[in-house]
Amino acid sequence: MVKDIFKAENRVNGRLFRKLSLLPLMLMLLMTAVSCTERIDIKLDDSYTRLVVEGQLSTDTMAHAVVLTTTTSYYDPQAPPPVQGATVTLFDGKDTTYLTETRPGYYMTEPDFYGVPGKNYTLNIRLREPIGGHSDYSAQSFLHPVAPLDSIGMQFHGDWGSKGVWDVKCYVMEPPTVDYYRFLIYKNHELFTKIIRYWFVTDDKFFNGVYAKGATVSYFRQDNEHEILNAGDTITVEADNITKEYYNYVLEVQTEVQGTNPLFGGPPANVKGNISNGAIGFFSTFDLTRKSTITPSR
Amino acid sequence: MKRYHILLLYSFWIFAFTGSISANPGETGRFTISGHVKDAATGEVLIGATVFETSLKSGVATNPYGFYSLNLPSGSHTLRFSFLGYKTQNKEIDLTNDVTIDIALLPENSELGEVEIRSERTNDNVIKPEMGTIRLDVNTIKHIPALLGEVDIIKAIQLLPGVQSTSEGSTGFSVRGGNSDQNLIILDEATVYNASHLMGFFSVFNNDALKDVTLYKGDIPAAYGGRLSSLLDVRMKDGNAKKFKATGGVGTVSSRLTLEGPIIKDRTTFVVSGRRTYADLFLPFAKDKQVRDNKLFFYDLNLKVTDIINEKNRIYFSGYLGRDIFKNQFAEMGFGNTTGSFRWNHLFSSKLFLNVSAIYSKFDYNLGSPTGDANAFNWFSNMRDHNIRLDFTYYMNSNNTLKYGWITTFHEFEPGTARGTSSASIFTEFKLPAEYALEHGIYLSNEQKIGANLTLKYGLRITAFQNVGSGTYYRFDSLFNPIDSVVYGKLDFFHTYKGLEPRFAFVYLLDEYSSIKGHYSHTRQYVALAQNSTAGTPLDIWFPSTPNIAPQVADQFSLGYFRNLLDNSIETSVEVYYKKVGNVIDFRDHAQLLLNQYMEGELRIGKGYSYGVELMIRKDKGKLNGWVSYCYSRSWRILKDINDGNRYPAPYDKPNSVNVVLNYTVNKRIEASTTWVYASGLPVTFPTGRAVIGNAILPIYSDRNAYRMPAYHRLDLAVSIKEKDKHWKKWKGEWNISIYNAYNRKNAWTINFEYDPKDIYTTYAVKTYLFSIIPAITYNISF
Repeated sequence: MVKDIFKAENRVNGRLFRKLSLLPLMLMLLMTAVSCTERIDIKLDDSYTRLVVEGQLSTDTMAHAVVLTTTTSYYDPQAPPPVQGATVTLFDGKDTTYLTETRPGYYMTEPDFYGVPGKNYTLNIRLREPIGGHSDYSAQSFLHPVAPLDSIGMQFHGDWGSKGVWDVKCYVMEPPTVDYYRFLIYKNHELFTKIIRYWFVTDDKFFNGVYAKGATVSYFRQDNEHEILNAGDTITVEADNITKEYYNYVLEVQTEVQGTNPLFGGPPANVKGNISNGAIGFFSTFDLTRKSTITPSR
Repeated sequence: MKRYHILLLYSFWIFAFTGSISANPGETGRFTISGHVKDAATGEVLIGATVFETSLKSGVATNPYGFYSLNLPSGSHTLRFSFLGYKTQNKEIDLTNDVTIDIALLPENSELGEVEIRSERTNDNVIKPEMGTIRLDVNTIKHIPALLGEVDIIKAIQLLPGVQSTSEGSTGFSVRGGNSDQNLIILDEATVYNASHLMGFFSVFNNDALKDVTLYKGDIPAAYGGRLSSLLDVRMKDGNAKKFKATGGVGTVSSRLTLEGPIIKDRTTFVVSGRRTYADLFLPFAKDKQVRDNKLFFYDLNLKVTDIINEKNRIYFSGYLGRDIFKNQFAEMGFGNTTGSFRWNHLFSSKLFLNVSAIYSKFDYNLGSPTGDANAFNWFSNMRDHNIRLDFTYYMNSNNTLKYGWITTFHEFEPGTARGTSSASIFTEFKLPAEYALEHGIYLSNEQKIGANLTLKYGLRITAFQNVGSGTYYRFDSLFNPIDSVVYGKLDFFHTYKGLEPRFAFVYLLDEYSSIKGHYSHTRQYVALAQNSTAGTPLDIWFPSTPNIAPQVADQFSLGYFRNLLDNSIETSVEVYYKKVGNVIDFRDHAQLLLNQYMEGELRIGKGYSYGVELMIRKDKGKLNGWVSYCYSRSWRILKDINDGNRYPAPYDKPNSVNVVLNYTVNKRIEASTTWVYASGLPVTFPTGRAVIGNAILPIYSDRNAYRMPAYHRLDLAVSIKEKDKHWKKWKGEWNISIYNAYNRKNAWTINFEYDPKDIYTTYAVKTYLFSIIPAITYNISF
């Protein structure tokens, strides 16, 4: 049941204040007292196989990846099969870049490649054999510039939870344009928010055009073993200016990954990405800004 | 054209009004008997009591104010006054002029008076032109086993055929496949917009303060409208007119206290009733300091004052205030209803009854973080109704009873404002524009007896809904993206919907014990609830029809066969219905309904239909009483933009359901009761494939609602034991012991598909269930 609380927590926080995430937690106090979970057997049918695309292009200079897999039946106990031998290209309105398959299903740019703010990128995929009735897939994404983070800060709340909570805040002059952000957290230069459900995405509804002074972008609960921070740990916040479509997509994926309950959220529904011909997944482009700080002693 | 229509509306109403005022007071040789029917012990007026002339077989039921009027030829008559749970009284009368007869009926179990009065069984259910209408008396409800011992009228009506709970333990209910926002719930005429406490596990209705509960599943009287599926008419007690009385109870989750009595004997009475949950009162004893500061409770306060000014005038003031409060160190939240109604009954003559009501109703919520730092914020929303209504009943003659009236409601919607509360706040204010609307209705209906066997009830309700400035109206393109907005000034009536709502019903008596009934009604609904989950939360907001959102409309047909057996001691009925809904509202996939100024763009409009058959056997009297019902029903939706335009089961489509409610009087002190419910599982959408996205498992889903949850069933037991009367004891005590879910069925509240955090490719289904076997004990006291 505790897990359910965090599901509900994550469900709400997408578009509302980060703090609101604490609300369902309280609303469900009563239910924790009375509810239980158990595994059950449910027979499920299989639907047809679809192509799955995960592609990202940022303004970092590096080898950017487009990963191709397929859908499987729900209870399949294995990793999804990679889609090999496809022709994958990126087009920036002028030049076409060919991606190389470096391992099965992974298609990479050259390591000196980077995205340019203000350009509209097109991803084109041609499969060796059709999947879901199609061989050609494409997607487009605009690369929005990001306003640089001023700084980030950390605050310890000793009275939250049994062992306290680190609160990571950012300071930034938010531009007057309508923007959407994804925040990724690195601990000691390693990506900490690897799983999509831990990403924090937000619109700028409550900050638009003002100086956001100390908006919380992440928590580290010290009663959770893998979130423990020690003095001297480097914490890095990456802010990505993502497209509105990608923002909606991430929220929808988070919702579907986290399951449902009769109180919050609507009925389950398929997530719409930006790949053509009914493929699952997204090709996203974004400008990014990073700032680091050292965890102080409490 | 517009002006013409409004003119027509009002002239229709004025015609009806003046027509009956000036009507000839008496046809020659006929006179009118009128009055009120009361409870002899408490002086409470009885709603729906029958007054029946035995030789002419002509009768009438008391209205919600206990009033009746019967027009009869001069001469001698035998009148029979009867009401369920009361001893029937016969009265001989020689009618030579108009008379007033107030009758006090003795409760069946009362020890008052030694007069031997035979309790008679009646065939009211067979002869009344009412279908899909069920009245529950508060006493019956009191003995039904309840979750945690909290007696709840909404949980009781969920045991009726055609009524389903929206989710386990929830007070939300669906009538004949409709949505929970299609039920009009009124408490002493005031609309209750959110009838739930504590995430829906309890309703706002404190049984101790109530007198009568009637549910109309289809044949909604022409006097009421604005909802498609049902009317739940809840009436509060007037208060004991004879003596001061206190009743109370200490239960597992709450305590109650009701005080009632005369202020001026046989003229002014009051009742005040309070209830509060107290789990949080134990929190100060908690070890953890943070837990000690938490709050989690709700309360209800009902107040009513009734004044009989004279034979022709009575006034009533009723108020309700209830609120839920949650608070911990991070967040606080409050929500609740406030209603008030002031009513005046006036008798123009023994044949013309008027009730004037002025009503206020409000639902609001607030939530925020009380931390006081830069992250602190407050978010609030509310809606208010201001309402005036006039309802006339004209007892024209023994064959015709005319009802007509007018109602206007001013709706105010404040869908949401959020802002930082500290001066160092990082948040700018975000406010959704307020919306205003006027809703009008006028109606005229007649209940007409034709010969000995046929009674018709027909009527027309004309309604209009006007959007009024100031307001902001957003326009959307065909893909539901906002294009632009129009801002309207104050009192700018910028859009009007109007429509006719015909109602028709008949009953044809086959013989004294059986009848055939039928009904058709057209209903229109101008406000709806933005609720996308099955159970909903208090944060769900109501929104009005606008130029973007046409009112929802429903046509319902039903036909039934009613038959009483064993000299009216057993009532049986079969009803079939078909309901067609137009402009039904559903929401796009992944809709965002809160704090979204483009919320209207998240709506999708289509059509729906439902049909079913309801069987019921009911026995109201005797040591063993209760009912057994079975219902087969289906409910479907078709929306162009949902589920690829293919038909899908509506969210509350439960094909099969069975309810068993039995009550057994062991002796004068002990009563045992049991309920068993069975219902097909709710339709759900399950995965039929998966993709790996962002190092997580993303389900690929079936068609909407293509699967079904496991069937739901549950047995509850309860026993109530009255303490022995001892001469030295001034009070009467009663123990109620109940067991919820007696055979511990693990009914699924939700089913989720999860993956093993250590190996994400291992996936499985997990069900969450809420209530295992739950015993509860309550002690009730009255003196």
